[in-house]
Amino acid sequence: MLVYDINTEDNDGKRRLVKIMKTSRKYLSHVQKSVFEGDITEGQITLLKKEVLGIVNKGKDFVIIYSLKDGIKLNRDILTDTPDPTNNFL
Amino acid sequence: MSRTYYVFSPGRLQRRDNTLALEFQGERRVIPVEDVDHIYCFSELDLNTRLLDFLAQKQICLHLFNHYGHYSGSFIPRESQLSGFLLVKQVEHYLDPGKRLVLARTFVTGALHNIRRNLEKREYEDTCQKLDEIKEGISKTAFIEELMSLEAHGRKAYYDRWEEITGWEFSSRSKRPPGNALNALISFGNAMMYTTVLKEIYRTALNPTISYLHEPSERRYSLSLDVAEIFKPVFVDRIIFRLINLGMIKENHFDINVNSAYLTEEGRRIFVKEFEETMEKTILHRNLKRNIRYKSLIRLDLYKLIKHLLGEESYSPMKVWW
Repeated sequence: MLVYDINTEDNDGKRRLVKIMKTSRKYLSHVQKSVFEGDITEGQITLLKKEVLGIVNKGKDFVIIYSLKDGIKLNRDILTDTPDPTNNFL
Repeated sequence: MSRTYYVFSPGRLQRRDNTLALEFQGERRVIPVEDVDHIYCFSELDLNTRLLDFLAQKQICLHLFNHYGHYSGSFIPRESQLSGFLLVKQVEHYLDPGKRLVLARTFVTGALHNIRRNLEKREYEDTCQKLDEIKEGISKTAFIEELMSLEAHGRKAYYDRWEEITGWEFSSRSKRPPGNALNALISFGNAMMYTTVLKEIYRTALNPTISYLHEPSERRYSLSLDVAEIFKPVFVDRIIFRLINLGMIKENHFDINVNSAYLTEEGRRIFVKEFEETMEKTILHRNLKRNIRYKSLIRLDLYKLIKHLLGEESYSPMKVWW
């Protein structure tokens, strides 16, 4: 699970926000505005981290990745009528 | 762990911001490209070469099905796994009648064992006995044709039980077009199985057109037919029984005409969902001593086949142990 908070006070920040969204979308499903989730391999996480670090401003932004150990099943309860954003039946 | 995506809604699939996006009914779903293994398309889809190039780059296969749910073809990226040596070995095992027979026999043995397992659980002793007799005959066969007819006999005995198992009308197996609902389910399920096996074959260096039990004819990936024989009873047949016995699929999920029957879109969706869930389930492998996904069983069998072709270890088909 990846969550970010980008400082968008200046134009450069807005640019970073769009960039990081596009990058995250390649690897994970967009769940909410700045929240992403998905089941990816360790190798893919490394690539994702590398790409993200190439975009963000380490001093101004905040990015956090939560990961679960292999074999642990994540339980998700969507309380609202929102369709499952990770659904693979389109 | 990358997954298979199934598209049922007509729309436009495109490359967007270096990932995939499906636009349908004014809506846009962004698909994480790194999460995609294969795409199955059951509806009308617009796409362009830019997308195909992107799919090729990411090694994603696109499988297309027509209006009736028949498999029409796949877009498969340029093969990355090539092995001339293995190809030579594969052909050698086809050309030598003795070697070919050995492989063909294992496919039939595996298929019959897995069929028997489905009946064993339901305690159909007499049919099981018949299957055992057929199984004994396998080692005596000297020609592929004999083997094929033995397999057909086994399957007939098996299908004779289907009306009892499902409570649905069956009479006999009919294809092109399937004559009733049960036949439509089998046909659709088998088509899913073939493509699943085919996609695993593409992950290895095996050539999908050279086969042993089925005659390698033109225009067919017959090796996937061979390997699918083993897995059809385990995956497809069990899914069908489950869907019917649990009342998940009903008569209104079929388009029934005078002498043909097809699954409706809704019916296909139900089947595919069950199929996908089954493939993702895990099971403790007795030799590897770890949990593996059902779909990995197919790949493991292909590796065993490669070992056999290379003369390292003789091939024994996957036999259900659960």
